[in-house]
Amino acid sequence: MKKWVSAMLFYFAFCVRIEAFKFHKTQQTERISGSAGDVLEDDPVGRLKVFVYELPSKYNKKILQKDPRCLTHMFAAEIYMHRFLLSSPVRTLNPEEADWFYTPVYTTCDLTPNGLPLPFKSPRMMRSAIQLISSNWPYWNRTEGADHFFIVPHDFGACFHYQEEKAIERGILTLLQRATLVQTFGQRNHVCLKDGSITIPPYAPPQKMQTHLIPPSTPRSIFVYFRGLFYDVGNDPEGGYYARGARASVWENFKNNPLFDISTEHPTTYYEDMQRAVFCLCPLGWAPWSPRLVEAVIFGCIPVIIADDIVLPFADAIPWEDIGVFVAEKDVPKLDTILTSIPIEEILRKQRLLANPSMKQAMLFPQPDQSRDAFHQILNGLARKLPHDTSVYLKPGNKILNWTAGPVGDLKPW
Amino acid sequence: MKQLTALQQQARRSNSFRSASLPLDTSVDGAIKSPATIFWLVLHGLCCLISLVLGFRFSRLVFFLFFSTSSPSATTNLYSALHTRLPSSITTSPPAVNGTAVAVDGGSRVVVGRHGILIRPWPHPDPAEVMKAHHIIERVQREQRIQYGVKSPRTVIAITPTYVRTFQTLHLTGVMHSLMNVPYDVVWIVVEAGGTTNETAALISKSGLKTVHIGFNARMPILWEDRHKMESQMRFHALRYVREKKLDGIVVFADESNMHSMELFDEIQNVEWIGAVPVGILPHSGGSEGVELSAVSREDTDKNENSEMPVQGPACNSSNQLVGWHTFNMLPFMKRRARYVGDRAVVLPRKLEWAGFILNSRLVWKDVEDKPAWVKDLDMVGREGEDIESPMSLLENPSVVEPLGSCGRKIMLWWLRVEARADSKFPARWIIDPPLDVTVPAKHTPWPDAPPELPTPVVKVISIPENTEKRVAKRSRKRSS
Amino acid sequence: MGSLERSKKKVQLWKKAIVHFLLCFVMGFFTGFAPTDKSSIFSNGVAISNHQLGFSPQPVAVINPVKGQNFTTSELEETAISTTTKESLNLKKPNGGELNPRRLVIIVTPTSKMDRLRGVLLRRLANTLKLVAQPLLWIIVEQFSDSAEVSEILRNTGIMYRHVVFKENFTDIHAEMDHQRNLALKHIEHHRLSGIVHFASLSNVYDLSFFQEIRAIEAFGTWPIAKLYANKKKVIIQGPVCDSSEVIGWHLKKIENTTDTTALPIHISSFAFNSSILWDPERWGRTSSAQRTSQNVLKFVKKEVLEEDTKLKGIPQEGCSKVLLWNLHIFKP
Repeated sequence: MKKWVSAMLFYFAFCVRIEAFKFHKTQQTERISGSAGDVLEDDPVGRLKVFVYELPSKYNKKILQKDPRCLTHMFAAEIYMHRFLLSSPVRTLNPEEADWFYTPVYTTCDLTPNGLPLPFKSPRMMRSAIQLISSNWPYWNRTEGADHFFIVPHDFGACFHYQEEKAIERGILTLLQRATLVQTFGQRNHVCLKDGSITIPPYAPPQKMQTHLIPPSTPRSIFVYFRGLFYDVGNDPEGGYYARGARASVWENFKNNPLFDISTEHPTTYYEDMQRAVFCLCPLGWAPWSPRLVEAVIFGCIPVIIADDIVLPFADAIPWEDIGVFVAEKDVPKLDTILTSIPIEEILRKQRLLANPSMKQAMLFPQPDQSRDAFHQILNGLARKLPHDTSVYLKPGNKILNWTAGPVGDLKPW
Repeated sequence: MKQLTALQQQARRSNSFRSASLPLDTSVDGAIKSPATIFWLVLHGLCCLISLVLGFRFSRLVFFLFFSTSSPSATTNLYSALHTRLPSSITTSPPAVNGTAVAVDGGSRVVVGRHGILIRPWPHPDPAEVMKAHHIIERVQREQRIQYGVKSPRTVIAITPTYVRTFQTLHLTGVMHSLMNVPYDVVWIVVEAGGTTNETAALISKSGLKTVHIGFNARMPILWEDRHKMESQMRFHALRYVREKKLDGIVVFADESNMHSMELFDEIQNVEWIGAVPVGILPHSGGSEGVELSAVSREDTDKNENSEMPVQGPACNSSNQLVGWHTFNMLPFMKRRARYVGDRAVVLPRKLEWAGFILNSRLVWKDVEDKPAWVKDLDMVGREGEDIESPMSLLENPSVVEPLGSCGRKIMLWWLRVEARADSKFPARWIIDPPLDVTVPAKHTPWPDAPPELPTPVVKVISIPENTEKRVAKRSRKRSS
Repeated sequence: MGSLERSKKKVQLWKKAIVHFLLCFVMGFFTGFAPTDKSSIFSNGVAISNHQLGFSPQPVAVINPVKGQNFTTSELEETAISTTTKESLNLKKPNGGELNPRRLVIIVTPTSKMDRLRGVLLRRLANTLKLVAQPLLWIIVEQFSDSAEVSEILRNTGIMYRHVVFKENFTDIHAEMDHQRNLALKHIEHHRLSGIVHFASLSNVYDLSFFQEIRAIEAFGTWPIAKLYANKKKVIIQGPVCDSSEVIGWHLKKIENTTDTTALPIHISSFAFNSSILWDPERWGRTSSAQRTSQNVLKFVKKEVLEEDTKLKGIPQEGCSKVLLWNLHIFKP
């Protein structure tokens, strides 16, 4: 009994120590300022070669045919990335010379009638696709996926579920443990985000945004702008789970502040209004990220990021600290004080940085692709991981992955 | 009940002590069938559960105390510790353990589960912060102008003819507010018919602009035709002032009847010598007939955003070159055109209104070397009461006019003439003296003496000049009470 | 079995029971520490935490902001409050003295597409409002339409505004205007915006000092308004009759055979009021229920203005003797 108690105490003390340590570490890390732009300018062509697996259309094209809404959804990156790679100069038809292998599987294209992604079948589809490539080609087994990458733009990446242990139960995370994941989900210390994943922006329709652009001379007359849910009554009737209470806190504290133009109603002038706001709130929802991040950057509105431990898209190339404002979730009640006490010079500097077109370009998945766009930034991220460490290549007969983990239903082929 | 089952489940799941206790229960199996024993058994289990719950509860308390003493400096974190500490999976996988560790230091730890909705107790919004935010917005807007606005802007010289009348304050205030919003230097030349008055001076001094108030030695005539002519002369008068003082800038003719979009003042900065902008004409008869705009059709068939609204101004070809003029089609109105101020008919603009022209002030200077040859000297035009229809009279060749406003497609200026009848009276400077009389008593007004007799139903509200004496008497009586 | 043995057994039984209770207590104690299974949080775990820790299950129902700290035990609430207020005070100090806080002015402007001069008059009013000292919030109401005319005009003004859009169709312009004003009031009520509300029609022209004057209003304020008619001789000045800033009567057109004050033709632009009457009527000695039941917030406000003479302030303070606001009638007189 005593042992138990002391073990518990020790465990907690240990946690505290780790916290403190990590906290200091992140504080000390400083971004190399100024270099960000250069990284965004990189051209990935010639720096890597990607082999695209040929999968039966039931893994991709057929799914899309069933629900064309996937093309405009926030998760459309998985589709457009596939299309982009097929015609990209980095593509190689010779798998022997490939640096990276790509499996075109549209796991997230499974929307409910009202357009919500509830991809209960995704883990099975993913597993089946991996099984397929590992049995038809020798490359997966060579490294057990260490030189493979997957696009998983779901809310919670390859978890496909907001509950971690639901994802763990499905056993899909263990299968993907060596592969590189390209995902929108970014939350430090979370099982759905592992080291080495590439965090990308969600898909926002470039043409539509283009048509709503107004002259940059339009005077910015909104101090803080936000449109979206504060409470998710349907999924979180008790409150406090959704957005970890942060959005509710925004509403309760600032609905009566004339400086805070916040509402649940989406006006037809939503994009225009962002372009005449100084600050745009980007609080977490169920996941830490939201399309507002992309919209804020595109529309030159300083993003106010409220999501503790968020990992932002292309954080190694985009100086988020310089262009955005980070507010801890517990500091939401002080948001007005925080924002009004930012020196004006800093605000103007952030706006000038936001006006930088290369930052905007990196947030978009345009059709057809353009240089420096998000596709190229993904490739840049993959190229920066090269060459692969020799240790990733397994000795023959050496196996790491546990194929049998997960429910029986998931083990059947797709 | 839900709670209980939950606890039972929980207990069963993780508990190995439980099994040890089973033999105890079975040891009394001899009497297991007796209801008393069953009762005791149930009681036993219940007590076990209660102590379980108590322990659970107690642990929270200890937990709280423990961490409050361990980190006394971070009191706020306690708050978050309690709120954020609904911990999650520890059972399944190592990364999950990492990801769900308890938020003890309140730092940057993220925890899955239920959180408090933080609502601050202090009053808000803080008025000082609101002011700070407005300062920020103002600076941001100024920065936007610096970045995207006109570089090295020229002074705007606005010329406005006016005279004292019922509608003067209303009109002049409107124009004044437009000019006050101009983000560049402004010189406002106000030419007043019948000589300068304190009334006008008091009004324009509120603008805070550089104003020049010039008197014009003639009364404003009552016929529209004459009034137009006189206004031209007044504008010329102001131009002569520009010439004398060598004011440098862009001359705009901001008529009292104009309404401005602020973009106009950016657009006019593009003028080199003489430019023309389209003017939206808003004809009205001031009557109750609902014919006004619908009867008006535009001469040209150019596609225009306000296709119903007649427009006066430059007309261009497809390569944006000036080819002619859109003029206001007066034909439908000829029979109903207003002849004098206050006539209940449609007040028509001139063929081309002055307001649609913008001049480089150097054009009217006397001796300027780079002055173009096509411009006539100011002294040669408008002498002897000659009617100057528009600034085009200054030009030898009308083709030099630069079309502005996306070549006449973008309207930034509107023309609307509204006046009261010429014999209309109004309180001087709009100061109500003597005060109005009471037609309806205030409900709770304490009038100790006899409440004022209600005037027999007033059919029409009395206009001021008519009832002056009567009211003075009444009012003074009331005051004394 | 002997009685001794029996009693021994009984003691043993009790001992064991106590041991069990202790064990359970300790177990409960540590389950409190142990991170619980996450799925249980989403299912039954909530119930546990709610009931045992006294958490309030309704985070939405925050009525009193001071006591609105949900999910806390009372002592925690206190710590949280004391620390946060301290912080807020610290944050306020350095900049508090520099700026001169002013009261918020909320201008409500209904716009109808039946008004052919809408675009032009909107620009003119915007030019005026842009000159008013901050803070000012302009609420413009418009019927939903495909045309971006109003939004475009507004966004180029640089004024802080809220654009309220509605879908209903109207044939009567007066009904539409009232509906629009009610919508704006609902927006104010929903957001609990605090300031002085004034209805500015598009056909109004203001002296800028007007906005300075109405900032001094505590509850209700009223002033004379001049109505100007195109091509007519008459000029109508109507509004309060004051003794300094005290309203002692009204100069209004009285409708015959009525004692109903709401029927009085007090011009919609001739008064302003503190917006808190909308969302905090108790503060003004009103029952909230009376207001809630009536859908027509506007009517309620108008009635209040006419009845609350004691809280009514005449503007300008010198006996309401200066016209600061003109209303232009071009078309129908």
